[in-house]
Amino acid sequence: METEATRSILPLLAFALPIVAAVLTVPAQRVSEHARAALLLVVAAAVAAVALVLAAGVASGTVYDTYILQLTPQIWMYLRVDAAGALFGATVAVLWLLALVYSLGYMREEHRLGRYYGFFILCLSWTMGLAYAGNLLTFLIFYELFSILTYPLVVHEETPEAMAAGTKYIVYILFGGTLVLLAIVLTFFSAGVQTFTAGGILSPETDPSMLQVIFWCFLGGFGVKAALVPLHGWVPDAHPAAPAPFSAVLSGVMVAAGSFGIIRTVFQVFGTSLLTSMGVMPYVTGVAGFTVLFAAALAVNQDNLKRRLAYSTISQMAYVVLAVSLLGPESTVGALVHITNHAFMKGGLFLCAGLFIRRLGAYNVQQLDGAARRMPITAACFAIACLGMIGTPPLSGFTSKWYLGLGMLETEKPWLLAVLLGGALMAAIYLLPIVYRMYFREPVITPEDRTVAEGREAPATMLGPLVAATAITLLLGIGASLPGMPVALARMATDAFFH
Amino acid sequence: MEVVDARVALAPAISLLCGALVFAAADNTFWRRFWSVSAALAKLGIVMSMLPGSLRGVVYTFDLVEFTPGVGLAFRADALGMFFSVVSSTLWLFTTVYAIGYMEREPNRRRFFGFFALCVSTTVGVAFAENLLTMFLFYETLTICTYPLVIHDETPEAMRAGRTYLVYTLTGGAFVLLGSIWTYQLAGTMTLSQPGILSMEAGRTTLTALFVCLIAGFGVKAAIMPLHGWLPTAMVAPTPVSALLHAVAVVKVGAFGVLRTIYNVFGVELLRELGVCDWLAALAAVTIVTASIIAIFQDNFKRRLAFSTISQLSYIVLGAALLSPLAATAAIVHIANQAFAKITMFFVAGSIQRTTGKTTIHELAGIGYRMPYTMGAFTVAALSFIGIPLFAGFVTKWYLSLGALESDRWIYALVMLGSALLNAAYWLPIVYTAFFKAPHEEVVVQEAHWTMLGPTLACAAYVLLLGMTVSVPGMPFALAQAAVTFVFGM
Repeated sequence: METEATRSILPLLAFALPIVAAVLTVPAQRVSEHARAALLLVVAAAVAAVALVLAAGVASGTVYDTYILQLTPQIWMYLRVDAAGALFGATVAVLWLLALVYSLGYMREEHRLGRYYGFFILCLSWTMGLAYAGNLLTFLIFYELFSILTYPLVVHEETPEAMAAGTKYIVYILFGGTLVLLAIVLTFFSAGVQTFTAGGILSPETDPSMLQVIFWCFLGGFGVKAALVPLHGWVPDAHPAAPAPFSAVLSGVMVAAGSFGIIRTVFQVFGTSLLTSMGVMPYVTGVAGFTVLFAAALAVNQDNLKRRLAYSTISQMAYVVLAVSLLGPESTVGALVHITNHAFMKGGLFLCAGLFIRRLGAYNVQQLDGAARRMPITAACFAIACLGMIGTPPLSGFTSKWYLGLGMLETEKPWLLAVLLGGALMAAIYLLPIVYRMYFREPVITPEDRTVAEGREAPATMLGPLVAATAITLLLGIGASLPGMPVALARMATDAFFH
Repeated sequence: MEVVDARVALAPAISLLCGALVFAAADNTFWRRFWSVSAALAKLGIVMSMLPGSLRGVVYTFDLVEFTPGVGLAFRADALGMFFSVVSSTLWLFTTVYAIGYMEREPNRRRFFGFFALCVSTTVGVAFAENLLTMFLFYETLTICTYPLVIHDETPEAMRAGRTYLVYTLTGGAFVLLGSIWTYQLAGTMTLSQPGILSMEAGRTTLTALFVCLIAGFGVKAAIMPLHGWLPTAMVAPTPVSALLHAVAVVKVGAFGVLRTIYNVFGVELLRELGVCDWLAALAAVTIVTASIIAIFQDNFKRRLAFSTISQLSYIVLGAALLSPLAATAAIVHIANQAFAKITMFFVAGSIQRTTGKTTIHELAGIGYRMPYTMGAFTVAALSFIGIPLFAGFVTKWYLSLGALESDRWIYALVMLGSALLNAAYWLPIVYTAFFKAPHEEVVVQEAHWTMLGPTLACAAYVLLLGMTVSVPGMPFALAQAAVTFVFGM
């Protein structure tokens, strides 16, 4: 244990409040839709507040923990908020709040809203639990719960495509979860204790082939969620099928949960010195580097906007794994910061995609010609997020890639800069033409286009969260070096990892 | 510490008495219900009153009769027996309430409830049996008492299923008897109070033959393949009977017999030396996988449940056969985990059948909107079988996987994880059909009567409780651990 932890009820609240809210949505919607909306908003805002308070506390040097349940005589369900967890938790909670507000506008005319909102808020609970999980089994609990219980959100629209995507999702995720469980069982069998510890919990004396098996099971299992090629198959199908606000969290934090799992595994289950001696990391670098370029190449040809963004997520999340695989402090800072930065950029892009669908009936890139004239604010947000994604300074995407690049030089692998720059170049190739179409092409008025008659921008419930996400992207970029910002937390986490 | 206490004998006796009173109540519905429910409550009360003592390590014993010196009817509530009886008497209460609702308009209710009570009496008799003879006696009585329940509908199909059932189980019983006498001849005692009474002196071949004999006998009811044939056909019985057969009484008595054979007749040390358990483990693993694969292709709801039961029972057998403390913990707690989850599913199947008349899975499209609580309970049970953490099934999966590693047979850890995926392959489509397929007709919420819905929800809640709360004192988990400690001499 690095730091003595302070017992606190806050981590417990972050995961318990949404469960209470999910249960209460049923009676609340009997009262009225407004009651349900108010309940959900209050709880999501409270969770975001708790997450930010915890992040601020962690930034000032405290570590919080809570014991919840004794699962077996040896293992507790245990929450522990360290710097990495606090950063991820705050990201999750804020993005969720934005997506929830957006849902209130976006989902208005949808069916089965009780189910949607119930599971939407429930999944916040599992994801917060995942961020704050203090040991492997707790991590697994939340990982499995949120994998399985997001299914109703993925298939929400119940179109044949959504159902097919849902089946694909659940099959991938169950296999991934099984591998993670196997890895955790093997870890427990080899090491006993499971509390995440900097420097790792597996001892170097463990049978080397056992270590290899554990490592690849973890990587394979989390790799499904983190969408490492060739385990990425569910991502491009699930994103277009899901409702836009859920696509935003799916891309922003769900995929990142897999990367977060890999970070925990690498630094707090194995530890850097063990992994260096095992010699597995170059392979991971290879897989991640390939994923960055391969997914970006596939993104270029996608006409469906959400599908293109989904491939972009695969590519961008592989940066995180790539950064982790270098086992250097600077790149690790980059990895942690990139999770947060990507969450708001990609979340923002999906929120835009949802608005294009709702306001212009535009699902495909080609339908976005001249969109900027009819939806100037949305288009501006989209353009900013795109530039951030490419890594233009001073936007947040630049910050993370800067650290990643530093890490590559620090670990003396300068040729990897080619991957970094190649990925950025490809992002420009698959994102900028959209921006170009929006600003420099004449709009084509389609029959189903309702915006001509009824005004242009979306109402504030949808536009507000989008603008907020964009503002956060700007803030994270411009204010990157301020105290209490993600970089500071990521630095603390990295210091702990490398002590 | 051993204490002579009549409660050990009273627990089986009270259901016996209840059976008699139900028969005496003739066709008076009120008294039949009254005696059924109050006997269930009384028995649960008696068993629970012994629980604190049992958790402190007290073993209650009671010798009823002695035929010849050392041979007689005797009861003994050790940790393993207490575990089984806590589970079965809790479930009996739920099943009784459910049966009252389910059997509302059925003929022959007197016969039904009478034998129903007798079944549970004999189940607790098996749980508390101090020696193989007592165990055999109750084991056989259980066979006889369940027969009228299996053929309750008296259709030709039911009569046929009843015959199959009798042929299988009576043959199994004969093997148990043979094994018991043989054990007595070899060891000079039939007691189940020791961690093993046989020794290597008897000779390897003899011991192997005896082991095969006892396991074959108990294995019929535990439905180890290829002895499982009776179970799917016995599905013609009314649903509460299926629930009782599958989750509480018959099959669990078989599994319990396997546990007793391994832990108390042979003992872990002897079996390690003998090496026969490797074969048993392999057979159990084959059963787990094969039965699951067959289950995937069953469209009849109850038949799918039946094959799932066959698969799940072999978890217990596998856990016992691995001869490691962690796997043993899994085997014992799975008695409860499987029981509560499976009985939930049977209750659901029965409620759907009674409310809508539907018995096949493809008819269930949209049923989740018609019976949301019922199908919610089903989903909980399904997630438990898949082994999602915080649900009961995960505890089994976790300990059994660790046990497989502990006994250096990692292949069985893979079997466990593979089986979890197979469980997902046949349970999730039902959840999917119920909640995500558009219903064919206009949907009005129409739940089963509360006597059926209540037990269903209670059992589903137990599934969650068992998965989350080993820390709550008095949960059977502590008993399972005490049993393991005793058996492995730790």
